[in-house]
Amino acid sequence: MSQGSSLKQYALTRLGLVVPMVFVVLTIVFLLMRVAPGNPVDAALGGHAPQAEINRITKQLGYDKPLYVQYGKYLWDVVRLHLGSTISDRRSVSNIIEVNGAATLELTFFAMLVAIVVGVSVGLISGRFRDSPVDAGGRLFGILVYATPVFFLGLLAQLVFGVWLNWLPTSDQASPITQALLQTHTNILFVDAIIDGNWSALWDVTQHLILPATTLGIVYGGVFIRLIRVNVIRTLKEDYIEAARARGIGERNVVYRHAFRNALVPVVTVIGLQLALLLGGAVLTETTFNWPGLGHYLVLYIENRDYAAVQGITVVIALVIVAVSLLIDFVNAFIDPRVRY
Amino acid sequence: MHLRKRLWHLVVLGLAGLALAAVAATAASSKPLASKASTIIDGTTDTVTNIDPAGNYDEGTSVVDLMIYQHLLGYPQGKKVPSPELATGCKANGADTVWTCTLKKGVKFSNGDPFTSADVKWSFDRVIKIKDPSGISGLLANLKSTTTNGPYSVSFHTKTPDATWPYILTTGAGLIVDHKIYPANKIVPDSNVSDLIGTGPYKLTKFSSGQQAVFSVNSNYSGPKPKNDGVIITYYSKSSTMKLALTQGSIDMAFRDFTATEYGALGKTKGITVYQGPGVSIRYLVFNVKRAPTNNLAVRQAIAYLMPRQDIATRIYHGEVQPLYSMVPKGLPGHEDSFATQYGDSPNPAKAKQVLSKAGVKTPIPLTIWWTPTHYGDSSADEYSEIQRALNSSGLFKVTLKSAEWATYVDTLGKQYTAYQLGWFPDYVDGEDYLLPFYLTGNFTSNAYSNPQMDSILKKEQGAKSTPERLGYIEQAQALAAKDVPIVPVWQGAMLAVGRSNIHGIQQTLDPTYIMRFWNLSKS
Repeated sequence: MSQGSSLKQYALTRLGLVVPMVFVVLTIVFLLMRVAPGNPVDAALGGHAPQAEINRITKQLGYDKPLYVQYGKYLWDVVRLHLGSTISDRRSVSNIIEVNGAATLELTFFAMLVAIVVGVSVGLISGRFRDSPVDAGGRLFGILVYATPVFFLGLLAQLVFGVWLNWLPTSDQASPITQALLQTHTNILFVDAIIDGNWSALWDVTQHLILPATTLGIVYGGVFIRLIRVNVIRTLKEDYIEAARARGIGERNVVYRHAFRNALVPVVTVIGLQLALLLGGAVLTETTFNWPGLGHYLVLYIENRDYAAVQGITVVIALVIVAVSLLIDFVNAFIDPRVRY
Repeated sequence: MHLRKRLWHLVVLGLAGLALAAVAATAASSKPLASKASTIIDGTTDTVTNIDPAGNYDEGTSVVDLMIYQHLLGYPQGKKVPSPELATGCKANGADTVWTCTLKKGVKFSNGDPFTSADVKWSFDRVIKIKDPSGISGLLANLKSTTTNGPYSVSFHTKTPDATWPYILTTGAGLIVDHKIYPANKIVPDSNVSDLIGTGPYKLTKFSSGQQAVFSVNSNYSGPKPKNDGVIITYYSKSSTMKLALTQGSIDMAFRDFTATEYGALGKTKGITVYQGPGVSIRYLVFNVKRAPTNNLAVRQAIAYLMPRQDIATRIYHGEVQPLYSMVPKGLPGHEDSFATQYGDSPNPAKAKQVLSKAGVKTPIPLTIWWTPTHYGDSSADEYSEIQRALNSSGLFKVTLKSAEWATYVDTLGKQYTAYQLGWFPDYVDGEDYLLPFYLTGNFTSNAYSNPQMDSILKKEQGAKSTPERLGYIEQAQALAAKDVPIVPVWQGAMLAVGRSNIHGIQQTLDPTYIMRFWNLSKS
């Protein structure tokens, strides 16, 4: 079989697997939400309205119908991309994805940047100076930040940089005045400020980004530190590195121009896998910093048993992770012919 | 080559140092943006559902609604009874079944449309027609029809005599909207900010759900001009984050809600004041009167004798709440300390033992008390530990505490729980709204309480011909409630708000109506 058709077959097979994968996620989320006691009406009106009124509204919204009927309607709505509206705050789920998804995208993008910069630089230095105090420090740093719960690191960052030093704001995407005045174009405030040419707003948004993005990024940078370090050490033992040294190439060039580039290749795969963890960590980071992202709202909607919201957000997050994993798999399959069916 | 690389490293290091210095310099020299404008920035942990008055029935949204809309009768600062707002007055016929209100002339909506009786009829009709899942239409359950008598007079026809109809007009169901803008049969979505038109002191200029609501002054407002240029309400999911924002100066003030510990810490922070005024929210312990052991009146009465209200108020809530001896809070007309009269104002283990012994109840009585950590604040854990301690230390009870998060809790309490925590915030500030929801047969607490005598008293109260007569029935209901003890009132909360030193007027607006009148606040 030719390389091209082998890659095509791999791509089609992986794409085909997406449908059952998403179907399983949808079903699990549906069942978990329904199995938990309570429903959106109870959460909203319980303790305030008579039971008869709660029953009437439950019936009005269809939550009294048999589970298989609700499930069928749910699947039919998903197929038509009809994600519906939330019960607790009456927003369309697509609006939540658009507005709050943009906030999560902003946070995870910059967090991933921090993770890569910190992880790669510390990992590279640790690998270069293997078994030295610098290496020990780098490894210790990597373990510490990875083991630290992200919300704890966030609280610590707020305390040190927000309260003690008063250098940075401790919550929100921007100051209230900036948020009120900034025109909405993309819902990503960093980009909106650039589009508007509003440099004071851009600075304000950047200041608000620093703590949450750094907190989230450093925690996941710990994974890159260890991975880069191991790959650098392994690559430095390769024959072509010895050959380069034998040809008289300086050690700095050997490390940074030859070993480092090759050590980066497996990192591409890990970045894709880390995205899933990053989205999970974003839930805690967004809650700590009052960042209006999908994770933050997912927690609120789960507490309110808002079926439509939880189902819609979970589907979108699942699709994003699946899409990124697919992309990484395609890139790997393209680069490495061994990774094919 | 080496030199170029070293220069490059130096440049990078230099830029990084500059960036760090810029951050520190900006932080050190710049004041929070909040203090530079005359726009008041408020923080809250409340949430907003539908801003359209026909689609919400929660406190968080009502704060927003009161900025944009008005009632026919409302609560101006300092008034505790329904007072003219869009109406000059309302009068009932002899049977209390028709209430006719005369409307103010010359009032306009923020878009310039004139306010007339057509808007009033439209507003009430659509609440009933839409029958929103929030349950707001339940407040108009006794309304049969609304008719207009010319452009400046409107009549409300009730199904049964209703002496407290003016209080219903002050609720969220009574907010007036523009009949030319609001559809008759559906809610205006929050995203249609330009359509959320009212006659109130502000107009909504921007709304980001869960993030902020931005208000500017309504130039068509018929009342006194607000003392500020506008308001921004910023929403927080955690009070700890809001506390940080307040101390940093990102927000000027915060209304609803901090924990008791946070209020205490803020009260000691330089430049920040915690303001406290009379409040009307209450907390209470409910008993299922059909489920053992609380199906035994003696058991309920014993708990009433042992309730450690003062300890809860001082040790758990640091004086931010006061002991409550009736479901009708102190400060409201008709309030009686009926539980203090019947059971004393402090725990009395001897009396508790006596009542149980007389009823032949074996002690210690095993009892499970349920509470929820996710709806009534973080102090609930300590509050119920205190109740457990008081009951157990008497030797008469062996209390087990259990908790469940709110959605589970509220779904299960009527089905399984014997004794459980609940709280109440009124729809309107009158003793009636602290009695009807709790003591009528089929009340919302799901405690199976039913007493025809109580039902009769409350029916008479609703149809009373005069205020003294109505207050008499309210007092009778409280006495009977203390005798039957389906519920033990525990505490009454204060109205609390926190402000930085540049915000003025907060203390004056704190009253039992629980309205934060942002339009009366100024910023220096």
